[in-house]
Amino acid sequence: MKAKPRIGIYGLTSCAGDQLVLVNCEDELLTILEAVDLRSFVMAHSDNPEGELDVAFVEGAVTQESDLETLKDVRSRAQILIAIGTCAVWGGIPYLSGMGTPLSDHVQVDYAIPGCPIEKTQLLKAIASLLRGDLPLSLPHPVCLECTIRENNCLLQAGEICCGPLTAGGCNARCPSLNRACFGCRGASHDPNYVSARQILEKHGFSVNEVRQRLALFSGKAYEKEGTQVG
Amino acid sequence: MARIHIDHISRVEGHGALTVELDGNTVRDVKLNLFEGMRGFERVVLGRPFTEIPAIICRICAICSAGHAITAHMAVEKALGIPVPAQTELLRELAFLGMFIESHSLHVFALALPDYLGYAGIADMAQDHKEVVTKALQIKKTGNAVQELIGGRAIHHVNTTFGGFGKLPSQSEVRELRAQLANCLTDMDGIVELLAGLSTPDYAGEEILFMAIRPAGDGYGFFGDTIVFSDGREAPVDQYKTAFQETESQYSNAKRSTVDGLPFMVGALARINLFGDRLTGKAAEALAKLQIPVPSKNALYNNLAQVVELVYALERAIEICDQILAEGLKAEPLPEVIVRSGQGTVATELPRGTLYHSFSFDDNGLVTAADVITPTALNQASVEQEITNLGTSYAGQTEDELQFLFERLVRAYDPCISCSVHIVQVKAEGRHTID
Ligand code: SF4
Ligand code: SF4
Ligand code: SF4
Repeated sequence: MKAKPRIGIYGLTSCAGDQLVLVNCEDELLTILEAVDLRSFVMAHSDNPEGELDVAFVEGAVTQESDLETLKDVRSRAQILIAIGTCAVWGGIPYLSGMGTPLSDHVQVDYAIPGCPIEKTQLLKAIASLLRGDLPLSLPHPVCLECTIRENNCLLQAGEICCGPLTAGGCNARCPSLNRACFGCRGASHDPNYVSARQILEKHGFSVNEVRQRLALFSGKAYEKEGTQVG
Repeated sequence: MARIHIDHISRVEGHGALTVELDGNTVRDVKLNLFEGMRGFERVVLGRPFTEIPAIICRICAICSAGHAITAHMAVEKALGIPVPAQTELLRELAFLGMFIESHSLHVFALALPDYLGYAGIADMAQDHKEVVTKALQIKKTGNAVQELIGGRAIHHVNTTFGGFGKLPSQSEVRELRAQLANCLTDMDGIVELLAGLSTPDYAGEEILFMAIRPAGDGYGFFGDTIVFSDGREAPVDQYKTAFQETESQYSNAKRSTVDGLPFMVGALARINLFGDRLTGKAAEALAKLQIPVPSKNALYNNLAQVVELVYALERAIEICDQILAEGLKAEPLPEVIVRSGQGTVATELPRGTLYHSFSFDDNGLVTAADVITPTALNQASVEQEITNLGTSYAGQTEDELQFLFERLVRAYDPCISCSVHIVQVKAEGRHTID
């Protein structure tokens, strides 16, 4: 990649949380801004030259014609398009309400960073990889693995419904580490072992429907595919 | 007839457009179109269990997510009669203050200050004003640190629950946070001096009508039970439906609110106008130094009112940390929740103004009706009125100059367009009325 990659940051229909995570990298922000050629970031900046892009980060779901136009335009100008946030990756709440769809329904997405919002550490690692000219690595493990490594007490075993077995890791089991059950905000994990996860949940007395409803909040789309229904 | 159109206002959160029609020196028409797409919160909440409501509702907006999450918890607690211990209230206030520190510093330094100093954004501004930008980012970071510690995550808190928290902060974490807050408060001295030297463009207008919630107790603050207008009108929060009127807009995805046809303004400037005399300490000093004319006729002063509140939030957060360090935190069991039907309405003051949450539940604790009114929606009519005043005062200027002033005024309201569009208003029987 060139010395200064041309970057654009876009928000479709969203809460702006993932763009805000970038703005919240207070310690790194000025360094990042020096290392890249920022071509567009309307939320933070006036005078956006746009044009050709090496990397575009796109947040939010497609809910209206103008979102689709923006997305297609950005795709046509960008070498690499990265979906940031569970709304962009899975559709999030707009998908559940039937009002929005994820980016990959409309254009090719080269890399996905899930999270509601995305984790700062994962974003910074991704930017570092991109600056080196590589695509970042995906995280294949579920929240449960991170939770076990942190030696938390398992909430499922304590009788609470926890979505950790089926949810994409990367948050370092944020919620169970605070004694709060995971509610699946990062969306479905890459290759979750649905059958065993389902058995674990049922063993602890949770109806499949209950789990389904919870997981549907953020990544209902993931559970529509053949053979992956949690129920 | 001249027409000024800005199709995507920059340095605000979300998607907004502004159209102003000028006829000679007269402003004929102003339309603020908040066109962020619909996400369908109203369809999602209906029929869902009360336990999920705060986590869904806070996704309306990231910048004031903590406010949505905590207010939703309070409304559910009110509906179901869940008792809230004083310690929980204190920690929630601390989380709110963290949100104010983060949100106000983001808006004042990164979104509004570039207008005063003549830059396109914070990145350009940093090249000439590295010291102030570095300090500003440190203050913003501290606001996030407060939210991380109490809320478990800076955006979309996960640690808050009904009546309490998943995990309480340790004394050493609170001590560390207090030290950071104290540094920020010291840094604010110089920043207030700098901002006091900047001039705010003037324009001719009437006294603005303000609305805010009267803080409980004698001090300044963001929680209370009474809606107050600057012309003397008052109403209890649970009668908000008659305190002002909402109408659908022909051209915007947000509703417009007025009181007897009059636009009103909410937010920092409203609170300073109504309750600024309750400020003490460095916040009172900042208010004096920044010379905000009260009663205000110029909405651009909202930027400086936020600076005063930034000082207040830092001081009050330090006070709370000191109280925690002196008294310690008790590990309390979470209150037992008895699922039942009920209705709860709560209003709180967020960085951008008053937020209303009202939810009804059936016997199984499932949502039957929901209503959320956000600050940016409340401000829409006021923005249009002040643009008219500003445009009338500067009618002779070039289009570029007018466009810059208009954008600057919209930005002064610190609009959060995701919030304003995603109005939730549903009833089980009547189906939803607006997205
Ligand atoms: S994924 Fe979450 S944080 Fe990101 S835009 Fe959607 S609701 Fe907001
Ligand atoms: S608490 Fe949740 S995430 Fe942690 S091990 Fe148990 S099921 Fe997995
Ligand atoms: S533990 Fe689950 S709900 Fe919590 S942040 Fe991680 S993925 Fe999201």
